[in-house]
Amino acid sequence: MSYKNIKTTISILSVVILLCSCDHGISPKPASQEVTGFSGRITFVGTWPDSIKRTHIVVFKDPLLDSKDFNLLNIKFISREIPFGTAVYYYSSKDSSVIPGTEAFTPGEYAYVAVAQQASDELLLVRSAWFVAGVYYTPGDRSQPGKLIIPEDTFVRNIDIVCDFNNPPPQPPGGN
Amino acid sequence: MKIIYYIFFSLTLVCVIRAQSYSIYGTVTDTIGKPIANVNIVVIGTGFGASSNEKGEYFILDLSPGVYELEFSAVGYKKFKSDSIKIKDRSINVDVIMRQKAIESEEVVITAGKYEQKKSELPVSSEIIPGAEFIEYNYRNLADALRYVPGVNMTEDQISIRGSSGYSRGAGSRALLAIDGLTFYTGDTGETVWEMIPVTELRRVEIIKGAASSLYGSSAIGGVINGITRRISEKPLTMLNAFYGFYDRPYYPEWDWSGERRPFNGITLSHSNTLGKFGFNLSFTRLEDLSYRRDDFYKKYIGFLKAVYNFSSTSSIALLADTFNKRAGNFLYWKDSRNALVPPDVDNNGRIETNRYLFGIIYKNVLSDKYFLNIKTSYYRNNFKDNGTPLNESTSHLYRGEIQLNAGLTEQIVLTTGVEGNTSVVKSNLFGNPNSFGAGVYAVADINLDFPLIISVGIRYDYSKLDSLKGSGAVSPKIGLNYKLNDNLIFRSSLGTGFRAPTLAEAFTSTSSGGITVKPNPDIKSESNTTFEVGVNYIPFNFINLDFAVFRNEYYNMIEPGIDLSDGLAVFDNVLRARIQGLEANVSASVIPRTLDLALNYTYMWARDVEKNVALKYRPRHLFYSSLNFNKWNLHFGIEFRFWSKVEKIDDELVDLGIVVDGEKRVPVYVTDLNFGYSLYSIGMPVNVYLNVKNLFNYNYVELIGNLREIRSFTLGLNLAI
Repeated sequence: MSYKNIKTTISILSVVILLCSCDHGISPKPASQEVTGFSGRITFVGTWPDSIKRTHIVVFKDPLLDSKDFNLLNIKFISREIPFGTAVYYYSSKDSSVIPGTEAFTPGEYAYVAVAQQASDELLLVRSAWFVAGVYYTPGDRSQPGKLIIPEDTFVRNIDIVCDFNNPPPQPPGGN
Repeated sequence: MKIIYYIFFSLTLVCVIRAQSYSIYGTVTDTIGKPIANVNIVVIGTGFGASSNEKGEYFILDLSPGVYELEFSAVGYKKFKSDSIKIKDRSINVDVIMRQKAIESEEVVITAGKYEQKKSELPVSSEIIPGAEFIEYNYRNLADALRYVPGVNMTEDQISIRGSSGYSRGAGSRALLAIDGLTFYTGDTGETVWEMIPVTELRRVEIIKGAASSLYGSSAIGGVINGITRRISEKPLTMLNAFYGFYDRPYYPEWDWSGERRPFNGITLSHSNTLGKFGFNLSFTRLEDLSYRRDDFYKKYIGFLKAVYNFSSTSSIALLADTFNKRAGNFLYWKDSRNALVPPDVDNNGRIETNRYLFGIIYKNVLSDKYFLNIKTSYYRNNFKDNGTPLNESTSHLYRGEIQLNAGLTEQIVLTTGVEGNTSVVKSNLFGNPNSFGAGVYAVADINLDFPLIISVGIRYDYSKLDSLKGSGAVSPKIGLNYKLNDNLIFRSSLGTGFRAPTLAEAFTSTSSGGITVKPNPDIKSESNTTFEVGVNYIPFNFINLDFAVFRNEYYNMIEPGIDLSDGLAVFDNVLRARIQGLEANVSASVIPRTLDLALNYTYMWARDVEKNVALKYRPRHLFYSSLNFNKWNLHFGIEFRFWSKVEKIDDELVDLGIVVDGEKRVPVYVTDLNFGYSLYSIGMPVNVYLNVKNLFNYNYVELIGNLREIRSFTLGLNLAI
């Protein structure tokens, strides 16, 4: 290798460094017009069973076709607790929640939205500990659970669920 | 201090009165009269020697009348051999001028093998960071300097040598740090605390790549970082190193949370002297940084003492004390990409306080021409606590001892043997109150055949027991070859095994922090690996040095943090059967001899979980470093460039769970630093001044999810030696 080659290398290197440095790497996401998320109303029909210790609104990304689908990576939202005995409960994903810990909600399509209850004091993330009291259905279609679709920078309202303790919905696989 | 003086004074009383002796002393300078520090001076054919101080002065004491020859060697300078020096009835002054040389070659000495060996004779790849770089480049922390070492990358404060580690939040390390042979890992987390090392006290840092468990045991599974402290000055020497700097405003206005340029500063005052048979280096460092991020500030205080008492020219005892106190913010993750320099609201005002103390005693005795005894013992107290909910606090006491014997069995064979033990006592609300115990015994033989071929064969057995967990043992053999075809072409190869016992933190952590809850894993087992390397060093011309290596590391039962999907809790587990393979190519060239140096280093790493066929977390596939340094007219100018490709895999679970918002944002790393230095020695002032610009182009990147690295900063520093 001659001096000329080395000096050429240095020149090329300098150009590469300068070109690379035009970029400034990580940048902030654009400001949202509106906080992405959803809200709605939960209506409870009938008498609350005494065994209920916890009640939450839960959102799953993928459908619950198997007990293995009930896993932490598939759970995208667990609301704060709904108080025992409530008749009508208004909620918003902007409220504090167990998951995620932030106000903003990731836009996208979510396969299963439900009100789930537990008989234990501790929040357990195993399928067998949960009982589904109500499921979100697309208005006019109760044949299958409704999809929650949240576009970018959009706050979706009226994601309402009815929980009829006398007529519970079909339970996803893996329950007791 | 008084106690130390009393101890050494008492020891003096029992020493044998020696006969009349003389000294050889002088000053070592370069061709323009600038003093050269850390020159190795050896009295040929004897065990006598010395090292020059920052003023270039050296003193070789206790010489009997006779005829001597001196050999002077230093990194970057041509070796110099004196004429015969006759001592009759007085001490002799020998001043020396050393000439710089174009390319570094085999004079560089490595002690990471637990005795001094030439770098060119090692069977494994190694690197050296000269101590002067810490001041010239304003590396405030050893970890900052390691970011520019070929084959090494850092994820925040966690080192990865050739992809050995991802990020485990301070629990465990796959590279072992030793300072003057004393290991620096904590008794509870097993982590390496880089920031407690006073970098101005380091003469050089050696990096050995690949498993070194056959000598160092657990934690050296990925390599060894071996720091050598400055030699003690024979005459009073006081040094002041001070700097002041500030971070520029963030590139994006959204991130400018403070509306000001955030300052940082540091000062180190050190003194070194020899009083008869007693000598010491004493330093105190204060560092303060208001940080470019909110709740990320720190104040650090580092105290360092190295005190040596020489019983004779062949035996000595040294006390090493290192104290570290830190009050800091506790920044875990950003709020989101629009608020990249502030923590989430729930983590606001996080604080952490750490107090760490290491005390070590090193006894050395050259028993004869063939045998060298080295006894080391140390105590490391580690305490930290935060203000989180729940509050995390831990105190650990780590006691360690080692006896090492080097034997020159024949002219060709050096045998290094040793036995060591350690025990740790922990009191913590994160880990419980567990204890641990470990012991090891090792033997490594370096056989220097005349071909010239050097064969290094070693084996080590380690036993480790963590509290109530079942104890386990591991045998770590290695073999290495170094073949010097001629002065310009050297081949090396090594095959070794390593193991790492889980730390108490990996087995017993039970806490919550930053939205992550960690649970213990009482079933965790040791991990192990085998490493293989082939390398060649070639000097085609006297101004170019080429080095090339290919490597392959197989990891078994690799311990990694992850999320247990059954309960959403984080846990350390033996989850991986991993393979890391790649190549390294390094070029050093003296473009203009003794004036302009160029270095180019490229590393390719393929790091995979071989069972799932996915990339390992936090391992970039491509690493590239380059530096260009100009030295003339007492002026130093350097430019360094660092590229790491975008890491393929991070902690995706933390993004999916919404714990780190926008955590998926990551980019390749392009960082450019500028360094200027000017020496005023030529006009009679013992001062060097420095100006450093780090991250010149204000490039924004992360090493760890949700943690933006340092933005552009400017620093002005000076170093004064009187």
